[in-house]
Amino acid sequence: MTREAAYCFAADLGGTKLAAAMADARGQIVAELTEPTDPRGAAHVAEQIAACASKLAQTVGMKVTHARHVMVGIPGAIDPRTSRVSLVPNIPGLENFDILGFLRDRFGPDAAIDNDVNLAMLGERAQGCASQCRNAAFLALGTGVGLGLLIDDKLFRGASGSAGEIADLPIGRDPTSHIPSTSGAFELEVGSLAIVERYRRQGGTAATTVRDIFRLLEQGDEVAASVLDTTARWVALAVVSLQSLLDLELIVFGGSIGVRPELYERVQRALPGLFSRPIAIAPSRLGDRAGLVGAAWAAAQALAHPSSPVPGGR
Amino acid sequence: MTLPVPLPPVTSVTRQLSRRSVFEALLHRSPISRADLAKVTGLSKQTMSEVIDAFGQQGLVRQVGRTSGNVGRTALLYELSPEGGHVLGIDLGARRLTVALADIAGRVLAETDEPTDNRGGAWALDQIARLSDRLTRDNHTHLSRIRSIVLATPGVVNPRSGAIEMSPNITGLGHLNVVALLGEKLGSPVVIENDINLALLGEIWHGCAQNVANVAFLALGSGVGLGLYANGQLVRGENGAAGEIAYLPLGGDPLQAESRLQGCLEYQVGATGVLRRYREAGGSEVDSVIQVFERAQVGDPIAAQVIGETARLTGLAAAAVIAMVDPQLIVLGGSVGARPDFADQVARLLLQLSPRQVEIRTSTLGRRAGVVGALSVALSRLHDAFFGVSELAASLPLPPPAHGSARQ
Repeated sequence: MTREAAYCFAADLGGTKLAAAMADARGQIVAELTEPTDPRGAAHVAEQIAACASKLAQTVGMKVTHARHVMVGIPGAIDPRTSRVSLVPNIPGLENFDILGFLRDRFGPDAAIDNDVNLAMLGERAQGCASQCRNAAFLALGTGVGLGLLIDDKLFRGASGSAGEIADLPIGRDPTSHIPSTSGAFELEVGSLAIVERYRRQGGTAATTVRDIFRLLEQGDEVAASVLDTTARWVALAVVSLQSLLDLELIVFGGSIGVRPELYERVQRALPGLFSRPIAIAPSRLGDRAGLVGAAWAAAQALAHPSSPVPGGR
Repeated sequence: MTLPVPLPPVTSVTRQLSRRSVFEALLHRSPISRADLAKVTGLSKQTMSEVIDAFGQQGLVRQVGRTSGNVGRTALLYELSPEGGHVLGIDLGARRLTVALADIAGRVLAETDEPTDNRGGAWALDQIARLSDRLTRDNHTHLSRIRSIVLATPGVVNPRSGAIEMSPNITGLGHLNVVALLGEKLGSPVVIENDINLALLGEIWHGCAQNVANVAFLALGSGVGLGLYANGQLVRGENGAAGEIAYLPLGGDPLQAESRLQGCLEYQVGATGVLRRYREAGGSEVDSVIQVFERAQVGDPIAAQVIGETARLTGLAAAAVIAMVDPQLIVLGGSVGARPDFADQVARLLLQLSPRQVEIRTSTLGRRAGVVGALSVALSRLHDAFFGVSELAASLPLPPPAHGSARQ
């Protein structure tokens, strides 16, 4: 085996940006780049991923055909049987595009895809704040919400690949009310749209994005503070649910909203009042690189243990 | 590049693996001839004869007649002998103590139960010893011949002190080294496991969850709890507290003192919660949840409303389980959960409460689930002790109940 053959290619596909990296056989990233995601949709995005691999191969001084182990993080759910991608709101056409088939065509049969939040969990396990953990979660809070679960040091996927669908947690609205919670109850309370909507409902006028709300908070805006208090309370209730079901060692907060100290510190303050035992939460150490680091690590794992079960793997 | 790895002592591992595969074939295919054993295991007739002879000397196998119906010579048939060893399963509930005896082949030989000594503590442990001693003697064996014992109990065993914690319904166990004391009284080491986890394993071995790899067991009775089984293993959590769904923030104000103490969900749906809500809604005096169900059945609207709300909250808990754990099957158990009328209501409500649906079944073993699960773990531990091969992490699969449950 030549030295070059042991390289891995990793990518983390997001709605607005695409991050890609070349890593060595241990999953250590040796070169990486970030580009805005091609807005023209799935086929163009797929070509963009392949082009990133070529650029990175050149940087490292290898042939792109030597990147036989490939892992791409996808912002959506992946059916473990068919590898079909669903719930991808940000990339037009990806749900009807055989992304795995494309990657295997270009990189060989060892190319694989996985959910981006699962990969972020692996990233924090490999090189981030969950490096000592066997039971942990990565909670991504941003436009939407997502959760990656690590149980007994393995990604936990459930019977149909839908474990950790935290958007569907029946935590939302007034839990004492008799209105039945419905699908996506939790996401409807803490997704970015819900936060902005809450700001408007409470009489705020100056914000159209969550970023605005964080900025107003710094300037002492009381509505912004109240909106974040309420949001943090819902998040804290979800954390309590997660902890009572799975008894985790650490819950890592990620995503554009989740990593903000203004949010997770509020959650941290709310938790002791809600649960009799301590719950450990921490902001992602790798930030928006968590998914990419996890993808590189997963690709290297597949290289080392060719039978490890990864959806869309083998 | 790679350094030469010292080879393991091949002969002994090979012999271990041969013995293990012959035992597994006997466990699942008895009665069986030597020729068929050789066919099933792929071992040579020579090796097979050696293993069977060794098993015979250990009292592990016995002859049970000959093949018939075929032309030509008939062959001797073998099965696992009950002399190979017995195991005990014990379920120490707040109200009832159950002890069951099985042999190494997984045949449930006998089972007995009586009301738990309500003085708790050392009295309950004495009661366990007395009942176990009687059950073994009545079945022509003796405590000294028991090779593996598993005790099901509410709460969690503290691995350092051996005490059973978080078990408010049985008094006096929080300060005793139950593991050591019971081991002494019964004459062999006792493994203690949470009763809901064991009820789940009981349903997987003999009940409604056979051959399902991802199952959640939701128990509702005096309290509420959850057992999780995923990819063929119990999910225990970092501190053994996975499935403590009493603390799910559903049904009440999670900031209330009672919620923090007893758990928000359990404060509403536990037995005392159901009775409290019935009383607060103006219901007449009752002293058990069963009575509230009976009132609901004869048209008491307050009772029906209270039961309906209990079913709705149980449905919300099931929806949370589906969202986070994604099981194939949810088994409803416990004195309230296993009631078919209640389970029907939960399943109906779940259609609205959860965007994803999974099958709901009621426990088929009822209050036997815990003791059957205790037997299954005791058996697996015995099999591992005899035939565990360190290279193989998994225990031998247990034989299905059809294999002959002498009790029925």
